[in-house]
Amino acid sequence: MSVSLGRNVFAPRVAQKGDCLHHFQSRRFIRSSARSLTYAKDLFLGKVNKAEVFPFPEISKEELEELNQLVQPVEKFFNEDVDSKKIDHEAVIPPETLNGLKELGLFGIQVPEEYGGLGLSNTMYARLGEITSLDGAIAVTLAAHQAIGLKGILIAGNDSQKAKYLPRLATGEHIAAFCLTEPGSGSDAASIQTRATLTEDGKHFLLNGTKFWISNGGWADIMTVFARTEVVDKDSQKKDKITAFIVERAFGGVTSGKPEDKLGIRGSNTCEITFEDTKVPIENVIGEVGGGFKVAMNILNNGRFSMGSAGAGMIKRLIELTSEYASTRKQFNRSLSEFGMIQDKFATMALNAFVMESMAYLTAGMMDRPGVPDCSLEAAMVKVFSSEGSWICVSEALQVLGGLGFTKNYPYERYLRDCRILQIFEGTNEILRMYIALTGMQYAGKILTGKIKEMKKGNVGVVFEILGKKLKDSVVKTVDFGLTGKDGVVHPSLTESAKMFEQNAAHFGSTVESLLYRYGKTIVEEQLVLKKVADVLINLYAMTAVLSRTSRSVSIGLRNHDHEVLLTNTFCKDAHFKNNFLLTQLQKNSPENNDANIKKIAQEVIAKRAYVCSHPLDRTF
Amino acid sequence: MNAPRQLLRIQCIGCIARILGKPVQRVILPTGAHLQTPGSQHNYGQLLRPFHCSAVCSTSRPSRTQLEKTVEDETLNKDKSLVTHDDLFERAARDSKTKADFNRVVDVFSKKDIRRRGHVEFIYAALKKMPEFGVERDITVYNKLLDVFPKEVFMPRNFIQRMFNHYPRQQECGVQLLEQMENYGIMPNVETKVLLAQIFGEKSHPMRKYQRIMYWFPKFKHANPFPVPHVLPSDPVELARFSLTRIADDLDAKITIYQYPSTDITETGEEVMRPHIVGIQSPNQRSLLAKHNPCRPVFVEGPFPLWLRKTCVHYYLLRADPVPSEEKVEEEFDPEMMGPEQSLFYPQRLDLDLERDMGDDFRFDVDDVEEGPVYAMCMAGQADQVTLSQWISGLQETCPILGQIPTVFRLDSGPRELQTTSDAQQTPEQEVETDQITEEEPLHSQRVKQGSASVLRRPRVYP
Repeated sequence: MSVSLGRNVFAPRVAQKGDCLHHFQSRRFIRSSARSLTYAKDLFLGKVNKAEVFPFPEISKEELEELNQLVQPVEKFFNEDVDSKKIDHEAVIPPETLNGLKELGLFGIQVPEEYGGLGLSNTMYARLGEITSLDGAIAVTLAAHQAIGLKGILIAGNDSQKAKYLPRLATGEHIAAFCLTEPGSGSDAASIQTRATLTEDGKHFLLNGTKFWISNGGWADIMTVFARTEVVDKDSQKKDKITAFIVERAFGGVTSGKPEDKLGIRGSNTCEITFEDTKVPIENVIGEVGGGFKVAMNILNNGRFSMGSAGAGMIKRLIELTSEYASTRKQFNRSLSEFGMIQDKFATMALNAFVMESMAYLTAGMMDRPGVPDCSLEAAMVKVFSSEGSWICVSEALQVLGGLGFTKNYPYERYLRDCRILQIFEGTNEILRMYIALTGMQYAGKILTGKIKEMKKGNVGVVFEILGKKLKDSVVKTVDFGLTGKDGVVHPSLTESAKMFEQNAAHFGSTVESLLYRYGKTIVEEQLVLKKVADVLINLYAMTAVLSRTSRSVSIGLRNHDHEVLLTNTFCKDAHFKNNFLLTQLQKNSPENNDANIKKIAQEVIAKRAYVCSHPLDRTF
Repeated sequence: MNAPRQLLRIQCIGCIARILGKPVQRVILPTGAHLQTPGSQHNYGQLLRPFHCSAVCSTSRPSRTQLEKTVEDETLNKDKSLVTHDDLFERAARDSKTKADFNRVVDVFSKKDIRRRGHVEFIYAALKKMPEFGVERDITVYNKLLDVFPKEVFMPRNFIQRMFNHYPRQQECGVQLLEQMENYGIMPNVETKVLLAQIFGEKSHPMRKYQRIMYWFPKFKHANPFPVPHVLPSDPVELARFSLTRIADDLDAKITIYQYPSTDITETGEEVMRPHIVGIQSPNQRSLLAKHNPCRPVFVEGPFPLWLRKTCVHYYLLRADPVPSEEKVEEEFDPEMMGPEQSLFYPQRLDLDLERDMGDDFRFDVDDVEEGPVYAMCMAGQADQVTLSQWISGLQETCPILGQIPTVFRLDSGPRELQTTSDAQQTPEQEVETDQITEEEPLHSQRVKQGSASVLRRPRVYP
């Protein structure tokens, strides 16, 4: 199948409709070339750059039509030709299925058309992700291939590298893998031990080392490998730096271990890869020698956003399956769906799917804007929110079926196992929370340092200014970022939610300031504080996404937009109170804060390396 | 099983007595004569029986020992009653000192006279002799001793008796018995309580003592987070393993047995003892040792004492002097690997010019005293340099760098082998003394033992 997609996806047209959005449309065009503003980072300063996130990004009508043309066959393929149960059971994706995926062009979704790919934008990639996620193993195989495996060549490779490798990767003739993790180095890249040494003639690198948990490791032909290389820096001192290489299996010396037997995504191939004197020509260095860090970071930071749409796709399918069951199954002469606790589960699923979807497409849209957008923070937030939301929703869906859901006759247990990995790979959620909070803290800290120092010195002027502001804030309860009102970007039906968001955003800004005042750069060590900061920010971003999306939906009159309004108001209220609680916990000497105790419990348990308490049946006499 | 019921019974009797205003025991108890306190040969019936004496009972027993005869003699010759009860034990202990022997003495005393004449003195004597017989930690023996007291007799029967110190000597003796239990960390059990209630009544001093013990003992039972068992392993390797893990409070630390104790016979027919060598080292210590500057020596020092209750063991350290400040290498800080925006997933440190606020700085101002690192510890069967160098060469297998480091042995002239209780407390002078006068050894050790016993008399709350 070949669908012609003659679109330059890097300049999607932002067509905007709706009266209340008009004002910002004109402003957007003025600075569309150079994007200097950021959204999530500025929230740390208590600023809401509404221009970044309002209106909700759109794709043009033509793009949408093409996308729909592409989506239909893919959907059909996944519904008819993919036997997920068999893939899970036999722990291998059958070759026919793989060929089908290749024919659909799913191995080169984001590879430009000139290299034989589909050349789709991030937004369109996210849309396809909704469907591929129906089978976890296939989704992971595809993601390992193109979201990280060949992404290095795509974003940092030179033209000859692209010309040499991309065409065959895009068709799926060659499969790519991303080799970063090592036995002794999970998230800590500094301990990468794989080494590349330059040969005598200076034309090759000899690669030696072992990489762990490589998705597609068993069948990948092209690998992006990160290794230590010796680099002479400007002080003419020799130093080890990380370099990225394109390694073909054909170079020799590459051996794959036995595939790991996993809890979920069993059909995907994960194994260990060992390089033994693999000869890599120096043309195959991605970027420059010693520049591997930036490459790895860029690949990882930009690959995550699609998890939101993938999770949403999965939950949408689960809602269909479970609501069918809940409506037909009778208990006490009433159908299951009439019970409040069952309804609660469906509401949870709908809310989560809605929020994930909104966050994913908002982020994808931001990434598709011209310029070099830095959406790594947003992408990380999408990943954290959607991986945790998926886990909860799948579990709830299974719960609706009760014992049936626990059996292998239904797909729920498989979904549950498959989606557990979402919280682990591409940076565990803990690490991403650290990333989210610390990146923002660094950004805010740079700007606030001067002010905080003045305060600490006891500069009367600054202190009074701050006290005055605090007094004003406490007297005048309303915070106004201009989301609502005359020139507002949020639809009036969402005013209340928007106000809640504004309140939280303002409170968050002042909390960040006080945290910086209190901890300074030692905040790196305060992981429990950072976790709360990240959680508040994720909630804020989620609120933004739903407000923006629903405003657009209402304004252009999408079908069932009233339901979206309902979901938005529900979610925002919920998130508002959660945020309030978290922000209260972040205050100094807050009685709600249990961190000291939590740390102490953990320390005592870990000192013993066992559960500390005596058995309740024990006696002393 | 019987004990709580018995307790209840006593309380009932007390109630009835109070209601009726006269002693009812005589009426009730003979009917309940079948109710025996566990572990005791006596019952109320026996108590109340008129002057039949134990001689009759003892003749009915199949074997009459020498001991019993002496007791009988004593009983018959009442004018000789000044003979101390210590003598009873001394005589019983002539051939062996075991729990059975001790119990026999107590039995004989209980049987010989229905009135239990001189029981207070007997109990005091028995208490004193308990450690000798090795029963000082045996709750059943204490209960048996307590059972020697006649029942019911010392119970106050009216308010005046209750108000004043009724039978003070007996009560004091009971308290003394409980105190000895307390000192040895023995927790009374329900049987003790039943006996006390039968002997002294519910609100007597010994009962109060019992209640106090039962209040505090359970609370303090686990006060020591590092308990030492009463019976230490007899195998020196096991003992060394226990002691070393006790010193090195690190779950990662690994015990290595470099040599098991054995005896070799050389070609010339000489017996050569190969002492045990047991060492402990944690991974951190190993990596520290690997980083040690080979120009600076390491020291093998010891022996240092470690007391485990009454036993003293000795250990040796492999340590070095503190690294002088000019040699300290700052941990290489690689901005590429660690810097903000650089590490793969999140910044390891923030590039900010802000320190922690004073109000949130809960660190204590501590003056750190620089100490040299301790690289490993060991215990060995012999304290000579040869044995310890075997340990060092054993360590070299995991830390090859040790081969290049000069090793200095700084050994005190300590004991040559694991010490037993008796010689543990000897000073070097005493050691010389014992070498000279070998005949006096038993007596000497006796003295030391008494010394150690006096140490033990201090309150000890960890059973």
